[in-house]
Amino acid sequence: MTDANIEAVHRKTRQRLLFTGIHLVLYFSFTLNWTSWGEGLGGYLGETRLTGSLMMFVVLVFTFILLETIFLVLSRREAR
Amino acid sequence: MRLLVGKLATASALFLCSDLILAAGAIEGAPVRQEVNPIAIGMFLLFVAFTLYVTWWASKATKTSSTFYNAGGQITGAQNGLAIAGDFMSAASFLGITGLMYVGGFDGLILSLGAFGAWPVFMFLFAKRVRNLGNFTFIDVISQRLDRDPIRLVTAFSTILIVIMYLIAQMVGAGTLIQLLFGLPYEWALLLVSGLVLAYVAFGGMLATTWVQIIKAGLLLLGVTLIAALLLANSEFSFSNLLAKATANHPNGEGILRAGSIFDDPVQILTIQVSMLFGTVGLPHILMRLFTVPDMRQAKLSAYYASLFIGYFYIALLVMGFGSIAYVVGNPEFFNEQGKLIGGSNMAAIHVATAMGGDILTGFMSAVCFATILAVVAGLTLSGAAAISHDVYAEVLKKGKPNPKTELRLTRISVLLIGFAAVALGIAFQHENIAFIATIPMVVSASVTFPILFLSLFWPGFTTRGALYGAGVGLVSSIVLIVLGPQVWVSVMGNAEALFPYDYPALFTMPASVLVMVIISRGDRSERGGIDRENYFRLLVRSEFGRSATETAES
Repeated sequence: MTDANIEAVHRKTRQRLLFTGIHLVLYFSFTLNWTSWGEGLGGYLGETRLTGSLMMFVVLVFTFILLETIFLVLSRREAR
Repeated sequence: MRLLVGKLATASALFLCSDLILAAGAIEGAPVRQEVNPIAIGMFLLFVAFTLYVTWWASKATKTSSTFYNAGGQITGAQNGLAIAGDFMSAASFLGITGLMYVGGFDGLILSLGAFGAWPVFMFLFAKRVRNLGNFTFIDVISQRLDRDPIRLVTAFSTILIVIMYLIAQMVGAGTLIQLLFGLPYEWALLLVSGLVLAYVAFGGMLATTWVQIIKAGLLLLGVTLIAALLLANSEFSFSNLLAKATANHPNGEGILRAGSIFDDPVQILTIQVSMLFGTVGLPHILMRLFTVPDMRQAKLSAYYASLFIGYFYIALLVMGFGSIAYVVGNPEFFNEQGKLIGGSNMAAIHVATAMGGDILTGFMSAVCFATILAVVAGLTLSGAAAISHDVYAEVLKKGKPNPKTELRLTRISVLLIGFAAVALGIAFQHENIAFIATIPMVVSASVTFPILFLSLFWPGFTTRGALYGAGVGLVSSIVLIVLGPQVWVSVMGNAEALFPYDYPALFTMPASVLVMVIISRGDRSERGGIDRENYFRLLVRSEFGRSATETAES
């Protein structure tokens, strides 16, 4: 095993843990809805019946997919 | 139509994996003996006929244990992603989450996010490295790093425990559903389900199981898409209009659009999130699917496509959940003389299908529910059989050099044994409160499988001794806290108050397991501990770049 290989693996490991960390922070932030810190999320968005809580759910789903997409793109670039 | 719905109600309650849904008072009223829906039966028989044809086709390609376990590694990333989604999107998701939203609106979404949140972690941490280091099961991955015999026995035991607990929950519900649909006695219904699953798995192995899961996932996604589209069409294609109609119908009014209708304790929310995320990531039958693709790139794509399909599914359930409030509440067709929803809230998904698409859509969704159970049970059976024949027999008893024909024969015998056990346990637990049984797999997976797999892939200091002690702590603490919790201590044993307040103890048992693994590993000065630490670096490049990269680097 060369030093370059080992360094590449360490870099990828850091990247994996960073993406996982970001994901977990976002994921557990959903708990805010059940705390006093998240009271603002119960309000409506403009004239619609959409609340911040509902928007948070939808945004989190799309953000998770976006994170995965970025991770995949970065992996492909490095592979080249 | 109302007759079928009433019959389905009891059944759906039984196969729900989420005790939370049961705890939320979802089951109301006694089951009503009713006539069958010919559309549902016709669609179900069509599904069975087609999947049996696929099994016959797959059986011609399943001649070795390798093709039996991993379909020859020839499934594409997109196909495998859909199969993973088919394996994971259970009837509990479809009926249970819609039912929980029918009861409490927004609070039901905690289960959706909990289930979906696992997939990015699965992709970031495990997809590539597990694929690169393993052959057929995730235990292959761990046993390359740690002392193979003890670690295989411990993880095979946890795999079989997870599979059996899952199977009981699925079989009891599945048997009841088929019994009600065909008017068969419960025992015959279980035999029918088990017989179909045995046919899929014993003859077609992973290849047939994969295609059954792909077909089922496609049907389920089509069904929820149709219902969601019809709901939006009836609301002038405005989700806000749908929400307005829902809040006008629900007793909690606008409270259903924000948190607090069902849950009020943030710690309880955390316990659910931890159990669902880390429990899902460590499920053996899901991890096994990573070996059905040809390479690490397809493994990553599998996880990505699975995320897309599952994410889409839960967004559709968001519409269905509020749609069930908007179009089921207040509709006398769906309520009995006592003013209760026929079949309880778990039937809200079927009721909303009826409201939107009449008998045809109801029949279709009922058939999809049965297909869902068959697909999930097939995946579980295959995973359990691989743990017995590959991990225990081939790798421990035969030290990795089994007779291939004997191994394949034993695999098929294991499938049969699991099938018989599933029937026997399904009969034994027919009248029992099975909510706690459905909790065990997720908690054990989060507290045993996930920590061992994660630390063996990412921590150089991890040793066999640490893994064994930590697994023991994770397993025992999970079982003890579930017994002391509300589901067993109160619901089963009849005590007034639980000694442990939460249904899902993984928030506490997983950190305990990890802590013991770290402390014991750090203090491990044994010769084996040294080998385990060296193995981390030996496997490092291969885990990230695959076998070919290692061979190139070492040549």
